[in-house]
Amino acid sequence: MTTAAMAKAKSRGDYVRIVGLIFGGIVLLGIIYGYITNPVTTTAVLASTLRQSTPLVLGALCGLIGERSGIINIGIEGQMLMAAFIAFLANVYTGNLFVAVLAGLATGAVLGGFLAFMSVTLKMDQIIGGTVINILALGLTSFFYQTGLTTQGKLQAIALGPLAEIPLIGPVFFDNPPITYATLILVMVVHYVLFYTRWGLRTRAVGEHPSAADTVGINVYKMRYINVIIGGSIAGLAGAYLTLEAVGSFERAMTNGRGFVALAVMIFGKYTPFGAWGAALLFGFAVALQTQLQFSGRLEIPHQFIGMLPYVLTIVVLAGFVGRTRVPAAVGKPYEKE
Amino acid sequence: MTTQTDSKAKPSRLMAIWRAASIPLAAVILALLVGAVILLISGANPIAAYSALAKGAFGSTAAFGRTLEKATPLILGGLAVAFAFKGGLFNIGGQGQLLFGAIVAAGVGFGIDGLPFIIHMPLALLMGSLAGALYGAIPGALKTYTGAREVITTIMLNFIAINFTDWLADGPWKDEGIVARTPAIAEAAAIPTWGNIPAGFFLAILAAVATWYLLYRTTTGYEIRTVGLNSNAAKYAGIKVSYTVILTMAISGFLAGMGGAIETLGVVGRYQPGFNAGLGFDGITIALLARTNPLGVVPAALLVGAMQAGSSQMQFDAHVPFQIIDVIQALILFFVSADMIVRWIVRVQPEEGEQVTLSTSWG
Amino acid sequence: MRYTKIWLVAVIFVMALSLAACGGAAPTQAPAEKEAAAEEAAAEESAAEQASADEAAEEEAPAEEPAAAAEGDCSSEEVFCVGLVTDVGEIDDKSFNQSAWEGVQIAGEAGAQVDYIETGDAKDYAANIDLFAQNGYDVIVTVGFALGEATATAASNYPDIDFIGVDQFQAEPVDNLAGLIFPEDKAGFMAGALAAQLTQSGTIAAVLGTDLVPPVVAFKEGYEAGARHINPDINLISTFHPGGLDVAFTDPEWGASTAKQAIDQGADVIFGAGGKTGNGALIEVAGHEGLFCIGVDTDQWETVPEAHPCLVSSAMKLITPGVAGLIEMSQAGQFPSGNFVGDVGLAPFHDFESQISDEIKASLEEINTGLLDGSIETGYNPG
Repeated sequence: MTTAAMAKAKSRGDYVRIVGLIFGGIVLLGIIYGYITNPVTTTAVLASTLRQSTPLVLGALCGLIGERSGIINIGIEGQMLMAAFIAFLANVYTGNLFVAVLAGLATGAVLGGFLAFMSVTLKMDQIIGGTVINILALGLTSFFYQTGLTTQGKLQAIALGPLAEIPLIGPVFFDNPPITYATLILVMVVHYVLFYTRWGLRTRAVGEHPSAADTVGINVYKMRYINVIIGGSIAGLAGAYLTLEAVGSFERAMTNGRGFVALAVMIFGKYTPFGAWGAALLFGFAVALQTQLQFSGRLEIPHQFIGMLPYVLTIVVLAGFVGRTRVPAAVGKPYEKE
Repeated sequence: MTTQTDSKAKPSRLMAIWRAASIPLAAVILALLVGAVILLISGANPIAAYSALAKGAFGSTAAFGRTLEKATPLILGGLAVAFAFKGGLFNIGGQGQLLFGAIVAAGVGFGIDGLPFIIHMPLALLMGSLAGALYGAIPGALKTYTGAREVITTIMLNFIAINFTDWLADGPWKDEGIVARTPAIAEAAAIPTWGNIPAGFFLAILAAVATWYLLYRTTTGYEIRTVGLNSNAAKYAGIKVSYTVILTMAISGFLAGMGGAIETLGVVGRYQPGFNAGLGFDGITIALLARTNPLGVVPAALLVGAMQAGSSQMQFDAHVPFQIIDVIQALILFFVSADMIVRWIVRVQPEEGEQVTLSTSWG
Repeated sequence: MRYTKIWLVAVIFVMALSLAACGGAAPTQAPAEKEAAAEEAAAEESAAEQASADEAAEEEAPAEEPAAAAEGDCSSEEVFCVGLVTDVGEIDDKSFNQSAWEGVQIAGEAGAQVDYIETGDAKDYAANIDLFAQNGYDVIVTVGFALGEATATAASNYPDIDFIGVDQFQAEPVDNLAGLIFPEDKAGFMAGALAAQLTQSGTIAAVLGTDLVPPVVAFKEGYEAGARHINPDINLISTFHPGGLDVAFTDPEWGASTAKQAIDQGADVIFGAGGKTGNGALIEVAGHEGLFCIGVDTDQWETVPEAHPCLVSSAMKLITPGVAGLIEMSQAGQFPSGNFVGDVGLAPFHDFESQISDEIKASLEEINTGLLDGSIETGYNPG
């Protein structure tokens, strides 16, 4: 990269930061204003924002852990769907929600392992591998799902004592069901592990310069396998969220493209956990807002246009403020040991 | 080894065909085998299921016609995705481009009256395809001018397209009555069906050949492929990368839009929400099955189209839910791509440059 | 060797399947193929398929297909056959496809041979109807307004077959086609009136599928009119799914999340009208103490047991008796053409029977009478 290009990149970075700050400030002011004028609605919208964002953040975390180690995962949708299905079945047959969540995690991990097998061992193209998982999960779950299976219940909200009493913040952040809490913690954990531990350094090394990593004694294949499996289990948690926490039941094709939106959220967030979280919150906010606009019933716009809001907003913010994202250098390339 | 002398004795062209066809053939057989195990687990009879599937896809001229009808949008959707891959772009937005093609073709089809067939049908087809091209060019332009990755923008544009076309069909372009759909297209705009054979299928074949020609026999195609392989190298070779990216997405959108237009003009006869669901996404599968080869898209689409066409017969005769064809599709894709496994069975060595990497379009 | 291996796999495959499918009854055809050349193997394969398929057909008696056991010839006079083609979606959708199928099954219990085809692609409607028609079925039931065009075309192609189109309004009557339609707005009106009398907070909500489907709009309009009939100042919050037709009814997570958003701003009665999306809303409400939810289409007490804690009633379209009745008329040779208006109403209160005051019950009774005699109008006027 030439110095001029670097300077340009730097100034663009500053520009993005400034715009981001201004944007964040406007959002914060808006929330405060909303809370003063209409506390109930504002709280409801923000709580909904968090809920809408949960499966997206989890899916994005799955994707970015894989990509940081050099494996593209476009099978998030399938991993979520299959895990949702198995977690649901586990809930039906054991009646134990904890076991059901574990079943979801395990299902995601198994599919993660399958993706790793295809892309690391068989050296298949990674986009094909993910697509195989997507179609397979859709077909298998739809084929084997039988209605009439009923669960005992779903994960309910646990208020965190006095924290839940704080106005606005309390009901939004501290009165949630377990997987939502787990998501918030996971964002921080993945960030810490990825950027402040040896494991994270090795993961990123494998994703950027696998041959260099190999020479210093890092087992590239093993790193990729483990990362994709961990990522898969996080996607599995997203699936468990859908059936065990959000809905309490399974339906065919219930992911409805959330795995793909998660993919967008991951890129949008520049392959960082907090970036993905921010992007997911923005998207979730737009979804919650469009519902609220319909609730208010005052807008004389066809609801299809209100329904476009989250998608238009994503494109505008992406094109206007985020721009180009740098992909881990070795992503998508099967590693050949020399 | 006898096999060695055997292969040398054969004419090399036959050998080449065997090389090209053996892996997909073996993959299909393996996929059907695994699918049969799944059917057995579910308590169904795989042989009854597969023979019914075959009967529904090829058992009569009507069935065969339906297979061709199903294959048509799959060919075009597959071409759209494959073409973008050749240019180093991952177009997940085939569905949105297809919807725009479908509804604009319907608009031209019912909106104009009194034109002769020779003008009206091609006009509707062209306008639909152009609408797809325009909608496809948006993510291309966004990528060029802002750096926004087409992977995200095309996903988002799919959702926007669904909402927009729903609104058109339920609003300004709504037919009389309570059902949300456009009026039926004029007779002069309809793509005919000869007996049971839909003419649209031949348009799709034509498009496949044209796409192949464009990619491998023209300068533009060479430039698109060069950008696809390495955009930096292309830049130093004097190719206008930005222009090429937009052009690639526009052509990709054109193909998807044409798929939608043929559905409207040749099959549905109007635009109705829900009637084009999933077609664009199937295109991704088809392109991957064909390893992004424009001519390979045709057999891949015929295979999937046949399964889709036969699925109702399979339900009727064997009482097997139609979702099993998704499972088989995924397995075929797996075995076609996991050629290590298949090669162990068929013992065909990979040829130089046969390996496909699509992941260059990621980033 | 390279050539034989692939065919070896194919042959083993066929053998394995024959063994498995026929329970060892017909393995005799298979071994001979081992040395066979390619084409012969293929020919044998289809022969084996044929043989085992025939045998399987005789043995086959899956539990959920009572009719398949007594496979008769539908083209013969004695055998009365009823086929059902679903809208895009499954036969067990806990909603209109399922209700219609239950209606067909009533005819099945009375001795008719019944079967269904699930439609996976909206463009297959006509082909799926043809499958039944060409196999000599006597009555064909098609479910959903989206099949209207295909059904009308089939009715004119096959004048000897009676067609029942659920949710299909017939603008021009055809002799052998009855559109089974429902005044959903009236059912919605009753649900709205109930909701408005149950609410403590003065805020009630509706979580809906999509307005691309006319019955959903009718339910919504009726619901709102019914609520305002009781309390003109009631706070009504309702929303359609923001996606297209293909996802609007299969997104329970959105339904649940939206219901929660409504609950968070005080809604204490929620009407879920949108297939699985609406079911998601019902189950969400069930997780909150002291709130009510109202189901749609069928008595969802039976179809969504997870919603028992809140499910006070459902705005029902009596599709099952409607379909069964029309089939009976067809069998008796008294098939009505044109539009046949089915019954609507509120489902029983089940466990909430004691919680609903006599006052409310009386008021609902009065509204029901008013809707029937026309003294109360829902104000819903389509197209």
